[in-house]
Amino acid sequence: MSEEAITKTSYHIPVGPIHPALKEPVYFEFELSGEKIIDVNVKLGHVHRGVEWASRKRNPIQVLYLAERICGICSYCHPAAFTLAVENACDIEVPERADYLRVVQAELERICSHILWAGVAAHEIGFDTVLYFTWQIREKALDLTEFLTGNRVTKGIMTIGGIRRDITPDMLPRIKRDMQFFKDNFEKLRHIFLDDKTVKMRSQNAGILTKDDAIKLCAVGPTTRASGVKKDVRTGESYFAYGDLDVKCITPKDLTGTVNGDVYDRIIQRLLEVKQSIELIEQCIDEMPAGDIVSEPKIPKLMNQIKKIEGEGVGRHEAPRGEVIHYVKFDGKSENPYTWKVRAPTYNNILPWIPMLKGEQIADIPIVAASTDPCMSCTNRVAIVKDSKRYELTKEQLHKLSVEKTRRLMK
Amino acid sequence: MKKKVTPEEVVKYFKDEFKTKIKGAKIVKRKFGSKKKESYYVWMKVDRTVFKDSIEHLIKLQYPHLAVASGNDIGKIIEIIYHFTLNYDQPLEEIILNISVELPKTDPTIDTISDIIPGALITEREKMEMLGITVKGIPDSSRVFLPDDFPEGVYPWRRDKTGPEKYYKNLHEVKK
Amino acid sequence: MRFSMLPSVFVQMFKKPWTNKFPAKYAPSNTTQFLKDVGEGKAEIIPPIPPEKGFRGKIKYDKEKCIGCQLCIKYCPCEAIEFKPKDKKIKIYLSRCCFCSQCNDVCPTNCLTMGEEFLLADADPYSKDLIVE
Repeated sequence: MSEEAITKTSYHIPVGPIHPALKEPVYFEFELSGEKIIDVNVKLGHVHRGVEWASRKRNPIQVLYLAERICGICSYCHPAAFTLAVENACDIEVPERADYLRVVQAELERICSHILWAGVAAHEIGFDTVLYFTWQIREKALDLTEFLTGNRVTKGIMTIGGIRRDITPDMLPRIKRDMQFFKDNFEKLRHIFLDDKTVKMRSQNAGILTKDDAIKLCAVGPTTRASGVKKDVRTGESYFAYGDLDVKCITPKDLTGTVNGDVYDRIIQRLLEVKQSIELIEQCIDEMPAGDIVSEPKIPKLMNQIKKIEGEGVGRHEAPRGEVIHYVKFDGKSENPYTWKVRAPTYNNILPWIPMLKGEQIADIPIVAASTDPCMSCTNRVAIVKDSKRYELTKEQLHKLSVEKTRRLMK
Repeated sequence: MKKKVTPEEVVKYFKDEFKTKIKGAKIVKRKFGSKKKESYYVWMKVDRTVFKDSIEHLIKLQYPHLAVASGNDIGKIIEIIYHFTLNYDQPLEEIILNISVELPKTDPTIDTISDIIPGALITEREKMEMLGITVKGIPDSSRVFLPDDFPEGVYPWRRDKTGPEKYYKNLHEVKK
Repeated sequence: MRFSMLPSVFVQMFKKPWTNKFPAKYAPSNTTQFLKDVGEGKAEIIPPIPPEKGFRGKIKYDKEKCIGCQLCIKYCPCEAIEFKPKDKKIKIYLSRCCFCSQCNDVCPTNCLTMGEEFLLADADPYSKDLIVE
């Protein structure tokens, strides 16, 4: 080895697999030169549970609840995409009212998820008062979820051919009151995130994803829209009742006039989507047609129908984090799916981390990684650090570094 | 993004170029909501020899969004299905293009598309470890989801003797 | 603006906390002792917030109505229901139940309903409280 190579060597720092400043297991290996990140390697699979394989021994009704347990936050999106796939494969028509009710549930979940993310993002930069504020709003959203579905997290609302619970007229005042509460608090939250200097200092020009990279790396959801790519399943495809509703694909351009694709843009993007979701719920409640909520209430009869079908279908739904796509194939011999493939949004948002993190500092890892709102349990469906002698940065250390950077910038 | 295309145009565009190498092309239309607006799903089988050319041909039409690739084990054949999305920035005009490729189990090799669509890397690596196919020319062939000490030659999504059957025998035994 | 959260923080000082302090205002140093005291009437539990109408809690089983059709067993996603062939009735293990109420939907005689009880934590998964029959 030449002398020059010794003096110019770079360092490798593993982060994870448990809690790389996030609340989920993923393993990063960073190549550093001083404080600057030169290269990133991501390893997944720490919470792989083989749900796709498990589905082969279950009938579609049982798979619904298995899909619900893929992720705690998107506990509506996965069953929704699965039902869409089954309905497409078996050509089941859904009543109009059920289509509207499904949108209400989907948008309520988006409010919950984005508000939660806003709190976590604030926590990552050391702004904990905002964390408590957002979770206060989220508590209200969860109470509303319990009121509408019967449970706070695992909603159990989706069924093949419709939805399991109706919204009756006596429920409307409560929903309208809560929507007003979200609107009032949303204004407050927007003021904090968009006008506060602390947030701007840390998020502007950090973790940039260019439009070209977003398209090439197939990013989805708010991550790609914050880079200016107008990809939104809700506007692109007519599914549920989104084809009837006045829904527009929004990008940060609508508010600021420019698209930078940085962390700040992703914050704006999610905040704008919260507002959009509130408006969509109100629209749905006003325009909801009367009628049935399930096409075939007798489940054994529905299963007999599915048993005879030989075919495949794709179901897509815009989850809070991006596009969820499920593929289902039936072989015509049993009602259990022959193949079931789940693609969660974070699956596609892993590769964009590499251009985002390159050139950033170690203290920026938490906020940049958090800005795509990763959900590892969705993506993985087991972890070995071979060399235990290597130095590991724990979540607490990383969080401390991140808070220190905010303090430094504030001086 | 180039101009929008209709599902019929997509099928014709492929059939004109590859003729008999495209099989079973069908367009599925589904209606949703009270205004009954349509959504489009295009399914087609592409011969393995022209698979890479067909993706290059598709990029000439429009740069697609690759959602994911899924796979089936059907007896002597492994079927890989690539789910693409076209027209994604056009309101209510999105087309889901499902291109399936059949690979015989005796020689399950396919060309990589990660050099033209870099976002395909993770999904191709997943197919390699889960279905035991070989992707020619992939820049990184390490495992994504399976642990490093997982036995070689066992593929979780297979339904034959290379499947994971012997590893889950006692899964459902519960004390009652 | 630098301190946009400061007004909210000040206002919060004079407000009631948002959360319900269940089961006690301060975490007891010895939980088992605390629960013993509650049982003897020495200490009091701050009650939990009552669940919403339509909440899916501990399952209720009307044995008389049950005809033993086993449909609930077929559609239970977590295999929590066992069939007793002797008297053609069912046995539900709540430690495996995921509270989805799917069995209520398929039941042709509506002998299963969801109750409101949700404090079901137990050290033994086969304790009397967790088996409905």
